[in-house]
Amino acid sequence: MTPSLLRPDQSLRLVDTYSPSAPARQAIIRVEDLSIVFDAPSGQVIAVDRVSLAVAQGEFVSIVGPSGCGKSTLLNAMAGLERPFEGQVLMAGKAMRAPRPEIGMVFQQPHLFPWKSVRRNIAHGPRALGKPKAEALRIADDLIEMIGLTKFASAYPHTLSGGMQQRVAIARALANQPRVLLMDEPFGALDAQTRAVMQDNLLELRERINATIVFVTHDIDEAILLSDRVLIMSAGPGRILKDLQLSLPRPRSSAIVAEAAYLALKRDCLDLIRSEGRRAFEQMEVKA
Amino acid sequence: MSVGRRSSASATARLSVLFAVLSVPAFTGVWELVARSGIVNAVLFPPPSTVAVAILEWIRSGQFFADLMASLSRVAAGFAIGAAGGIVLGVLTGRFRLVSSLLSPLFHILRPIPPVAFVPIVILWFGLSETGKLFLVVWGVFFTVWLATHIGVQKVDRGLIRAAQMLGTPQPQMLWEIVLLGALPYITVGLRTAVSISFYTLVAAELAGAFAGIVYRIEIAQQNMQTGQVMGGLAALGLLSFVADRSFATLAERAVWWR
Repeated sequence: MTPSLLRPDQSLRLVDTYSPSAPARQAIIRVEDLSIVFDAPSGQVIAVDRVSLAVAQGEFVSIVGPSGCGKSTLLNAMAGLERPFEGQVLMAGKAMRAPRPEIGMVFQQPHLFPWKSVRRNIAHGPRALGKPKAEALRIADDLIEMIGLTKFASAYPHTLSGGMQQRVAIARALANQPRVLLMDEPFGALDAQTRAVMQDNLLELRERINATIVFVTHDIDEAILLSDRVLIMSAGPGRILKDLQLSLPRPRSSAIVAEAAYLALKRDCLDLIRSEGRRAFEQMEVKA
Repeated sequence: MSVGRRSSASATARLSVLFAVLSVPAFTGVWELVARSGIVNAVLFPPPSTVAVAILEWIRSGQFFADLMASLSRVAAGFAIGAAGGIVLGVLTGRFRLVSSLLSPLFHILRPIPPVAFVPIVILWFGLSETGKLFLVVWGVFFTVWLATHIGVQKVDRGLIRAAQMLGTPQPQMLWEIVLLGALPYITVGLRTAVSISFYTLVAAELAGAFAGIVYRIEIAQQNMQTGQVMGGLAALGLLSFVADRSFATLAERAVWWR
């Protein structure tokens, strides 16, 4: 039997720190009173409703909510891909109006350039920022080694499995050395085994690069496993219901999700969500 | 029972190969017999043997290669200019709403006019010069390639563009790498259609008045009642256009190299 990462007596300390105004502490990325409205045939739809949050340097924050709750829209706004209807996103104190290379993004689909090899896909960012070719390729080779795809450096994306493609997408996003990495359900399209491996890879990676990560998922297990903090969102309109501080020990591995202590912890977490946002929770359970 | 069905299926397959091999010789044989039988006027409907003699004579005189080069250079130059213009403007109208609003209505009005209809005005503008012929081929090729590129650019995976934006891709690289290559599968389809169109317009251009070319040779032969030469010209044109289409299809498959 593998040694437990959690002591059975260890209780999860869940602290809800959500307040409508963003907490005043050292934040690398800050969302202030953000609303995003879409034009739909039936009229305007509020996708994100007056959301405020702050992510501290080095923090791993997950945003959890049911499908269509606006969590991806919120993440896109943090990436500069979506224009705020009201409010703003501040990156290191400056308002985000367009994508910036200091923010990296990994999407649910890998979106690799199909005409480029793995190596050139990863080198794309440094090249786009004007780095000399030799340097860009060196950065790419280092990252390829890190994600364990050295044998596939000159392979084209369509020859790789879904998990391998997503590893390349993560490496490509890291090639510009972003200060913040945004991940939009990056493992949502993968099968259960691959997803568990990818989660472990991400945990390892995080220990190594110490990046600030904002991670969107509808999977509460994934959120608890990976994060320091979990934000719970509700649907229609998208709002943040809870801001939960987790204190699981690190390093972690996906094996802990099967442990009794972890399950107790998840139950505590779900109880908290349930008491605050029954509707959002039920939609999430249906989804899961 | 299943064995019997399988053997009958393989018999059909063998028969099908035999038919395919016999198709052209059988047709030529029937043509030869009919033309020689006196049922039809052999001057107007010469047998294949007469056509073959006319083609050999055409090649031996050296005129065939001069005509071939004249026609090929018109098609090639017109195709290159029309395709380049169509791709560049298609990327711009497909990507930029304002450019599209400015140009698309105009292009959609001009596009359906058959290029052949421009022959009279082209003669007024350019006389019997090569410029006029080039104009007709360019006109035919341009709109086809423009439309295919315009649609292809709009169908480029939005995720690819967003990924490129997040990586700090500058606008020119976004257009001429991400958007252009993203639309390439559509563009190659448009280019292939444009190959046949360039041959249609070549016919109009050479009929309008030329001094060399395969269609020009057909017209001269018609005026001299050399029906064998007329049919030889048609065969040459068919073969040329077939070879161009086939080789372009092979090229197009290689162009989308990542598949």
